[in-house]
Amino acid sequence: MMRSLSSLFAAFCVAALVPAQAAPVDGGHARVELISERNAVLPGETVFAALKMELDPDWHVYWRNAGDAGLPPELIVRDSSTVTADAVGGFIWPIPQLLPVVPGEIMDYGYSTEVVLPFPLTIPDDASGRVQFDVTADYLICEEICVPERADVSLTLDVGAIEPDTVNGNLIGDWILKAPVPFAGEARVDTASVPWQLSLRGAPDLDRSDSLRFFPFDHEISHPADQPASHGPAGATLSLTPAGTGGVDGPLQGVLVIERPDGTRTGYEISAPQGDVFADTAGLAAIRASGGGGGKSLVLLAFFALIGGLILNLMPCVLPVLSIKAMGMVSAAASGRASELRSHGLWYTGGVLVSFAVLAGAIVAVRAATGSATLGFQLQNAPTVAILALVMFVIGLWLMGMFELGTSIQNTGSTLASRNGAAGAFFTGVLAAVVGAPCVGPFLGAALGAVMSQPAHAVFVVFLAMGFGLALPFLLLSFVPGLQRLLPRPGKWMETLKQFFAFPMFLTAAWLLSVLGALAGHGAVAWTVAGATAIAFAIWLARRGNMPARVAAAAVLVVGFAYPAVRAMAPGGIEGTPTAYAAKYATEAWSPERIAELTAEGRPVFVDFTATWCATCQLNKLSTLKTDAVHQAFADADVAFLVADFTRKDPVIAAELKLRERAGVPMYLWYPAGAAEPQILPEILTKDLVIGLAAGN
Amino acid sequence: MFNRRNLSLAAGMAAAVALTAGALIASTARAEPEVAVGSPAPAFTGLDSNGQTISLSDFSGKTVVLEWTNDGCPFVQKHYTSPPANMQTLQADAASNDVVWISVISSAPGRQGYVTGDAANALTITRGAVPAHVVLDPSGDIGRLYGAKTTPHMFVIRDDGVIAYQGAIDSKASSRVSDIATATNYVRDALASVAAGQPVAVASSKPYGCSVKYN
Repeated sequence: MMRSLSSLFAAFCVAALVPAQAAPVDGGHARVELISERNAVLPGETVFAALKMELDPDWHVYWRNAGDAGLPPELIVRDSSTVTADAVGGFIWPIPQLLPVVPGEIMDYGYSTEVVLPFPLTIPDDASGRVQFDVTADYLICEEICVPERADVSLTLDVGAIEPDTVNGNLIGDWILKAPVPFAGEARVDTASVPWQLSLRGAPDLDRSDSLRFFPFDHEISHPADQPASHGPAGATLSLTPAGTGGVDGPLQGVLVIERPDGTRTGYEISAPQGDVFADTAGLAAIRASGGGGGKSLVLLAFFALIGGLILNLMPCVLPVLSIKAMGMVSAAASGRASELRSHGLWYTGGVLVSFAVLAGAIVAVRAATGSATLGFQLQNAPTVAILALVMFVIGLWLMGMFELGTSIQNTGSTLASRNGAAGAFFTGVLAAVVGAPCVGPFLGAALGAVMSQPAHAVFVVFLAMGFGLALPFLLLSFVPGLQRLLPRPGKWMETLKQFFAFPMFLTAAWLLSVLGALAGHGAVAWTVAGATAIAFAIWLARRGNMPARVAAAAVLVVGFAYPAVRAMAPGGIEGTPTAYAAKYATEAWSPERIAELTAEGRPVFVDFTATWCATCQLNKLSTLKTDAVHQAFADADVAFLVADFTRKDPVIAAELKLRERAGVPMYLWYPAGAAEPQILPEILTKDLVIGLAAGN
Repeated sequence: MFNRRNLSLAAGMAAAVALTAGALIASTARAEPEVAVGSPAPAFTGLDSNGQTISLSDFSGKTVVLEWTNDGCPFVQKHYTSPPANMQTLQADAASNDVVWISVISSAPGRQGYVTGDAANALTITRGAVPAHVVLDPSGDIGRLYGAKTTPHMFVIRDDGVIAYQGAIDSKASSRVSDIATATNYVRDALASVAAGQPVAVASSKPYGCSVKYN
């Protein structure tokens, strides 16, 4: 009696397991589940099942080779299972990610967020009724610390007519596609000297803009080391650092992961016998680093950003602002108090750094919200441009001597006055950064493009390095007494020079007005000019001196700034068409579709990614693109000249810039005749370069 | 007030410079350590859990075992679980054979496994462990000198100062205590071969466990 009761109870339990796939089991830091491509199976057939794991944020599990630490997941078949262990095939491992535990020192390979590990499962020949597959998923899961977890998961499959589970079948299929495929080309490893050279030739097409990474099945090579790639016409070669624990017995085996510039990753399983590097697979540097440690490339990026920031001092749009700074430095140096000079330098640096941090924060936020961000975007915002133009105008008036900054404050005491000087220095720093950002051009484009796809902290590091570079000359000047002595003595010339510096400011304002015109139409320009007049009127009123006049001045000042900004916010009258070229060339608007058509025709194509607010772009037009010689060369070689105008926000252009890893314009693409993929040209063009390209076709 | 602002600003900038410089230094110190079986064990000096200065050279003429450990790591816990008290047994056998067993803790302050000397001694007592010394290496210098990647990560150094074995404690990379019984214990085998003056059959293996919690 008891026996039959208990068997009845067991039957209930089994019935409770239907539907076939149970809910995920929470192992602690992962939701674990067994899924199958079938609900019902035939005896003797092999079906695909999978271990599906959803991981807590920041936790990860490991690849077949976990790297320096960690363990791959495994399945242990339980006694209650009607499928035995020998019917369970090995996991089909999707290509892993790099998991730098200690950058440059400890590197793991694995997965985060979600992973599906498919495996073949052979149904017993004598199966009938129902197949019960019970396993314990035993896996190590790590964040800062590691936790071994176990989850008892089951799969119940009816035996009978084949009945697919389309949802899970598709999911398993998708993850099988993430596994590496055999490498169709040839691979050889040269271990004669350190570093080893892994040489690849034949398929697939390796491009210099691809990022290559070799994930070994074993531990012959150092996992954390970078794998610098070099390219040649026949293929590519990776430099691998041996692990120092002996050489290779037999071929070097693993997975080569190729990451395209658009982020897609493909894995190729490689078995490389020992041998010499193939001819023509090296010599040309890769465009992208293979990103081993992450830390090192960030340091390099920060270094380049620092250099770029230094060069920013010479950019045409920063120079006017720096003229103010230079004036401040001369007067501070003339005061003879080193401490005042130092405080000037420090406050200026602070202003620059704070602005660059805000800019980095804005870029991270915009990227988080929209998925992309480009530099110079503050100059795609019409109200910002209007206000900047007015600020330039006011600074010009001040330089001209129309009014004195802070004379009324100075009466309240010397402490406040020195703070006012500090605030002035800080503000100059802010202004230099804001106006300088769209001028990043030639030296920073590539570095910033690379950092755009990096984590937030990397964006901050690079931007702060750039800001520090921008501030460095003045900071040095304020701290090194020997340099201070090089400053000229103050005198009447200072007043003259100060007044002269007003003109670059007015020119900058004029340039910003032209940007505004392209963004929001001539109405916005007119209102901004009216605002400028109102500001000049307010300053004139304020100099009358009595209280009512000052109140009125303040009111007019507010209106003078605010109203043009409001007007500029109104939808612009005209569409952003690249009219600038129209007089010179028959140019066409760029679009990816047009590129596809032209390249299909076999025509060479030159694409100019430009914007009216981009100073470097204008420079290139003057020096190269608008010249008759280039015009003639393009006409002779039947080069299609396309223009992508980024003066206004344009998601398609933004996507193209991101694809090419550029942070902003200018970007020049050259598609040689018959080529589907472009070369990215330098950001400063020369006639010789462009004519040479056209003539080379 | 003004000066204080200047100071904080200067401190901020100094931090930015230090960040860059530090990262540069880190990138230059990235070569793979030259610790290999058959080559001399790198000399090191460190403080043990009793505050005494310990150098590898203090034990020349004796066989030395280095054990990288972290009491919070499940793989370390696997080998300290009693029974079978795998690690404690190895330590006791070493002591009775005049082999110097040194446990090294390279966890950085604030990270898993970091302990003070007193806490390390308390751990030794509660776990029933019998190492000759527990060396505290919070800077990670000794760990990096040896290229210790995991806890546990084991090194056996012959009496002539040459590394005879490096790698895992045994052949079954898992966190399951039940695997200890069926695994080949590489450290025990290496110590037996060294004592017998014979070459070590498995002289190098891939260590398994948690990553060393370096700073």
